[in-house]
Amino acid sequence: MIPQTFEYSAPQTLEEALGLLAAGGKPLAGGMSLIPAMKLRLAAPERLVDLGRVQELNYIRQDGATLRIGATTTHFEVETSPLVRGKCPLLAETASHIGDVQVRNMGTIGGSAAHADPAADYPAALQALEARLVLQGSGGERTVSVDDFLVDTLTTALEPGEVIREVIVPVDDQGTGTAYQKVAQLASGFAIVGIAVRIRKAGDKVSMARVGVTGLSNRAFRASHVERALEGRRGSPAEIEAAANLVAQGVEANSDIHASAEYRRHLAAIHAARAIAVALSRTA
Amino acid sequence: MATTTKTKTETLVGKRIRRREDPRLITGTATYVDDIKMPGMVYATVLRSPHAAANIRSIDISKALATKGVIAAFTGKDTENAGMVPCGAALPGLRVPPHHLLAMDRVYFVGHPVAVVVAADRYIARDAAEAIEVDYDVRPAVADPEKALEPGAPAVHPQWPDNTAFTFHQEGGEVDKAFAEADVIVKQRITSQRLVPNAMETRGVVADFRPAERFLTLYTSTQAPHLVRSLVAQILSLEENRLRVVAPEVGGGFGSKIDTYAEEILMSWVAMRVHKPIKWIESRRENFTCTIHGRGHADFYEIAAKRDGEITGIKLKIIQDLGSFLSLLTPAIPTLSVLMMPGLYKTKNIRADIVGAFTNCVATDAYRGAGRPEATHGIERMVDMVASELKMDPAEIRLKNFPEPSEFPFPTATGLVYDSGDYAAPLRKAMELADYTKLRREQKEARDQGKLMGIGLCTYGEICAMGPSPATPAGGWESAQVKIEPSGKITIMTGISPHGQGEETTFAQITADEMGVDIDDVLVFHGDTSLVQYGIGTFGSRSTAVGGTAVYFALQNLKTKIKQFGAMLLESEDVEFAGGQCIDHKTGKTVSLKEIAFAAYRALKLPPGAEPGLVATSFWEPPNFTFPFGAHLVVTEVDRDTGAISIRRYIAVDDCGKILNPLLVDGQVHGGVAQGLGQALWEQAVYDDNGQLVTGEFMDYVMPRAHMMPWIETASTVTPTPVNPLGVKGVGEAGTIGASPAVVNSVVDALAPLGVRHIDMPMTPEKIWRLVSGRAA
Amino acid sequence: MKISGTSTLAVPPDRAYQMMQDPEVLARAIPGCESLERIGPDEYRMKMKMAMASISGAFDGKVRITDQQSPTSFKLTVEGSGKIGFMKGEGLLKLTPSGEGTEVSYEGDVQVGGTIAAVGQRLVDATAKMMIKRFFDKLAAG
Repeated sequence: MIPQTFEYSAPQTLEEALGLLAAGGKPLAGGMSLIPAMKLRLAAPERLVDLGRVQELNYIRQDGATLRIGATTTHFEVETSPLVRGKCPLLAETASHIGDVQVRNMGTIGGSAAHADPAADYPAALQALEARLVLQGSGGERTVSVDDFLVDTLTTALEPGEVIREVIVPVDDQGTGTAYQKVAQLASGFAIVGIAVRIRKAGDKVSMARVGVTGLSNRAFRASHVERALEGRRGSPAEIEAAANLVAQGVEANSDIHASAEYRRHLAAIHAARAIAVALSRTA
Repeated sequence: MATTTKTKTETLVGKRIRRREDPRLITGTATYVDDIKMPGMVYATVLRSPHAAANIRSIDISKALATKGVIAAFTGKDTENAGMVPCGAALPGLRVPPHHLLAMDRVYFVGHPVAVVVAADRYIARDAAEAIEVDYDVRPAVADPEKALEPGAPAVHPQWPDNTAFTFHQEGGEVDKAFAEADVIVKQRITSQRLVPNAMETRGVVADFRPAERFLTLYTSTQAPHLVRSLVAQILSLEENRLRVVAPEVGGGFGSKIDTYAEEILMSWVAMRVHKPIKWIESRRENFTCTIHGRGHADFYEIAAKRDGEITGIKLKIIQDLGSFLSLLTPAIPTLSVLMMPGLYKTKNIRADIVGAFTNCVATDAYRGAGRPEATHGIERMVDMVASELKMDPAEIRLKNFPEPSEFPFPTATGLVYDSGDYAAPLRKAMELADYTKLRREQKEARDQGKLMGIGLCTYGEICAMGPSPATPAGGWESAQVKIEPSGKITIMTGISPHGQGEETTFAQITADEMGVDIDDVLVFHGDTSLVQYGIGTFGSRSTAVGGTAVYFALQNLKTKIKQFGAMLLESEDVEFAGGQCIDHKTGKTVSLKEIAFAAYRALKLPPGAEPGLVATSFWEPPNFTFPFGAHLVVTEVDRDTGAISIRRYIAVDDCGKILNPLLVDGQVHGGVAQGLGQALWEQAVYDDNGQLVTGEFMDYVMPRAHMMPWIETASTVTPTPVNPLGVKGVGEAGTIGASPAVVNSVVDALAPLGVRHIDMPMTPEKIWRLVSGRAA
Repeated sequence: MKISGTSTLAVPPDRAYQMMQDPEVLARAIPGCESLERIGPDEYRMKMKMAMASISGAFDGKVRITDQQSPTSFKLTVEGSGKIGFMKGEGLLKLTPSGEGTEVSYEGDVQVGGTIAAVGQRLVDATAKMMIKRFFDKLAAG
């Protein structure tokens, strides 16, 4: 529980932060994963660059049909933001399931995405929302889809010296219903499975379905089989169940002492059905 | 001399009084070991083995010693002659492996101490420890006690290839006859998984040796400071009167801090060499791997019964996972299970065998309940299985097998004498609170709708107030000293060492009532061997029943002297001491305790034959254990789709004898139930096949949290014990003992329509889902 | 923990077999491998560095190739230990022709110890699969 010696700097501007990162610093956001790893000596960065005081990374604002959320926005800020709750309720609902109150007060959306824990909650919602991430390094910025960003377990598309600047999510249209359903691993609070669903109806048929899944495999993914099975349907209980049963199709499921791969696949199907049903009920 | 004073008539015993300990605890101002700071203090870190079994080819500490700020580093070669970590339990033929302070040429479990580094701060110490190079020759390990006993298993200790530390046999009555004449015999293997005690405060030591005075002060997070003093002094060949052990505020123990640990001895040894105060604080990772674990049973039960439900015989074989070394009480814990194996039932025919198995794991030892939860879980599961076999209601079979209240003191098949009991009373009360008949009707309706609803009962008994000295490894009495100060204020020194149990409050209640003073006039001290006469400590639900009784007798001793002084001051032959004053009923004259105290110390005049001062001591030896009991009733519902269990109702009716403070009894029951539910539903220490503890942090070890707890409805019945004059039995472990079988019985009952008859703990959702959906485990 | 799976390489079995015995190829393919130094027949000392999100650590280890049945099967053992713990992967790799290329099937066991085992068990499965995938991806890339 005793980290190695490290240098610490807390820049005020993004430019200053990028300079420090280019020189080999390790970015620190909310510290909910990095600090425990350092205390366990699973990580021993020599220089930490604390992004917590970079004011320009902390914001939630509407930009036309999207919400732009600064990387250091905390889970609590997302969970309680009237703007997010009104315009992109799936993200606020998902944030409310992360860890516990203390974690939500410290942890940030950028930090969670950059850590790419395969059982983190946000990535499921970001997948269902087809979120884009703006990455910035000293050489410039680029925008990537969350699907391209999440490469593998604890592995992202971030290049050395690059940070997430903001997360872009869509503003829900009228008639969109969303839901996040999670089975938490009781010790860590991480998802054994977490299912984020975003559904739009045109008339009495599903015109659009997006399903993001976390906890099931090496990284959060879009369950496109489920989406296709829902689109064009009315969403009867039998249709929901049939679609939900496709959630783990072609997926190599994780296994650990808390849940075998078989049980995870089963839970994913059960909770996909539950999430779809709730999301559908919210389309009205 | 005052002739009228306010006479105190209100008694405090039996009242819901808030704990006097709490203000310092909830304001964060209590002093734990890690809060102690001393000038010149240095910090120690222990380097530990990452392997469960390995020979040590070499250890190179040169890089550690060369690290700036490092004061010293030691390995097993240095401490070889410093004595061994003690095991206090004795059993015939017991193999006690040599347990050096630091590993010698072999490591035996993940976390085995290999070297110690002392440095100017804990960061340097940690860095230097990591610079130590240990060349391990990794050997095969065995972590499962049943596998350890199989032929060809890796030998934990090469000198004992059968991995058997001891076997133990006990028999009573006519077992073979009972089984031959049985109408029904039920057999089942029942496990009680390894658990991590997880006190909120990890262990920690500050060792301060003053060479000029040749005096060592050892601050340690312990439940038994006097025992630590006697053992450390003996092990390090230090005169016992030159060692002071202080248990400052202790943040929980649950049995895990009864033991005298390697680090307590090691840090003392190091302090005597570096001549600076040393602090060592255990990390949570170390706490998981190096502090004792609890439970670790595989039990094989056979029960014989008659068609009418009479239980006529019990056979039990226990395979106890001991770990690699024997800690203070390790081998004694399963013998407590044997003592408790008949539960509350009358049968006189029992046969028990224990095999103590070495494994490449940390030692098991006393954890809340220590042997009794395992036994109670076993018998309570088995009784339900017999009931199910005979198509009897689980309440009915229990009521049929209890001894009647008139049969007490009740001698048991295992050689105990149950002190007092009305075992049907708490069961009937729990059933009444739950409206049992209605609940069963509701269950039938739920089942008709395809719902999985269960009702589980447990009627538990336990062995408390440990205990008569002949039955304990280190003396079972307890001591108290009462001092009435010259101002009339009262100071109690108790030999117990409370760390959350609340005796600073309950002992003050007893004292305030006996002396007729305000509770704020009483202060209770404990946990410092230089302050307290001697004591045994806090464990085995003994503190109030044994330690409180010692306080009571010290107070009675003092009353005699108070009356002598009162009579002298009132110039009377016959005075009564009551309500904080002595009164001469003939004249109506009174003298207050305060005035008596002043006179006793001022000593202008003394009663004939009396010495000055008002101090009395009692060392009280209990004539028997006490045997509390109770009934827990749990209603559960199982989600067919996911296997998730929800607890709809939890009713705990406990009979712990006379209740001194119902608030504290409720608190003990709540905490105990939380830990019992933890075992039933969530907690497990999982070692993989190579002896790696894969639940080595709170990331994977599911500790019960507030939001996971059901609402607990508590109630009590009161059957005082004749063993002590307070009539109290003890309640520290009751909740834990009652909870796990009640919950498992409830879930098995929920799944009974599916043909499920037993579920091992923890009942994880996946395990339940597999049973519900008919999948193999 | 048991592991098993298959992967396809574009080259025929004898070439695939040869590649997997070649320390230079192995050094490129083993994830995080920084150096591979021969210490005996088919035995190499390896320095590895792992960095995944916030977790990182250096490992000293060994790579051993045994039970060679050219070009159909061999046993590959990769072990490493460092401050954050140790790991050992042992697998039997079987090569069978598949069209123009080779199907490699593997079956084995992964053990981890130390801090990574105590706090990272939920990630071991996914991480091991990722490492194996990277190994074969690198092999396929040549």
